[in-house]
Amino acid sequence: MISLSSYLFISFTLFVAGIAVMIARKNIIAMMLGIELILNSAALNFAAYTRFINNNLEGHLMSLFIIVIAAAEAAVGLAIVIRFFQIKETIHIDDAAQLQS
Amino acid sequence: MFENTLFFLSAALCIIGAAGVVFSKNLMHACVLLLASLFGVAGLYAVIGADFLAASQLVIYAGGVVILMLFAVMLTGGSSENSNKFGIEKIPGMGSTKTYVFAGFSVLVISFTILKLMANFMKSYTKGELPAFSSTVEKIGTLLVTDHVLAFEISSILLLGALVGAAVIARPRKG
Repeated sequence: MISLSSYLFISFTLFVAGIAVMIARKNIIAMMLGIELILNSAALNFAAYTRFINNNLEGHLMSLFIIVIAAAEAAVGLAIVIRFFQIKETIHIDDAAQLQS
Repeated sequence: MFENTLFFLSAALCIIGAAGVVFSKNLMHACVLLLASLFGVAGLYAVIGADFLAASQLVIYAGGVVILMLFAVMLTGGSSENSNKFGIEKIPGMGSTKTYVFAGFSVLVISFTILKLMANFMKSYTKGELPAFSSTVEKIGTLLVTDHVLAFEISSILLLGALVGAAVIARPRKG
């Protein structure tokens, strides 16, 4: 039961959920939740492929770097969101249409 | 047997959490359900023997990213607005039945095509026998400072840049 295809299916489900969140929601923080889901699906794919094809640890390292980059992205993205909220007092994505207020 | 049970629990947690992130109307609930989904991913890592990856997933996501998201939700005024049925009334032409029917059919056709193309490749790796458990921490540490030392250093610089950048961007306005 623990096979590559089941892992790929779970990863596909996570990816579709992330894309759906990014398309359907209008809140910037909710869209960042979708980005986290997509990054996790990619990292899960790396780990599954490196386990079931050649059992070395390159995919683990790639997943580790993906986790690091996701943490950095979350920090900077949320800082930008908070700054945007200080200026515009909303976090609706349709209000982010100007470069200079 | 134990591994199958853990696999099913983790997969169910993962998929249910992801679906909850999509369908929950409250943003705080979405954050907590994202945490459930990330716990599921950590369990999936543990099933295939990636213990260090599972531990760092738990530490970084549960201890860092989701807490940061919750703080950002609370700092930006909670989920008072924009939390209606995933904002779908705001998009014209996205709430009708015809759209959903077309989307369902196209998802079926595309997924069957992709699965048909990938069937041979996926069937050749379906053996699920796991090797005896051995810790991967030592090997990952060795690989990090020998083969991948450049990426390691670059990620440290990236983290420093993210730290400084986040502190600079989010500082309070001076009038």
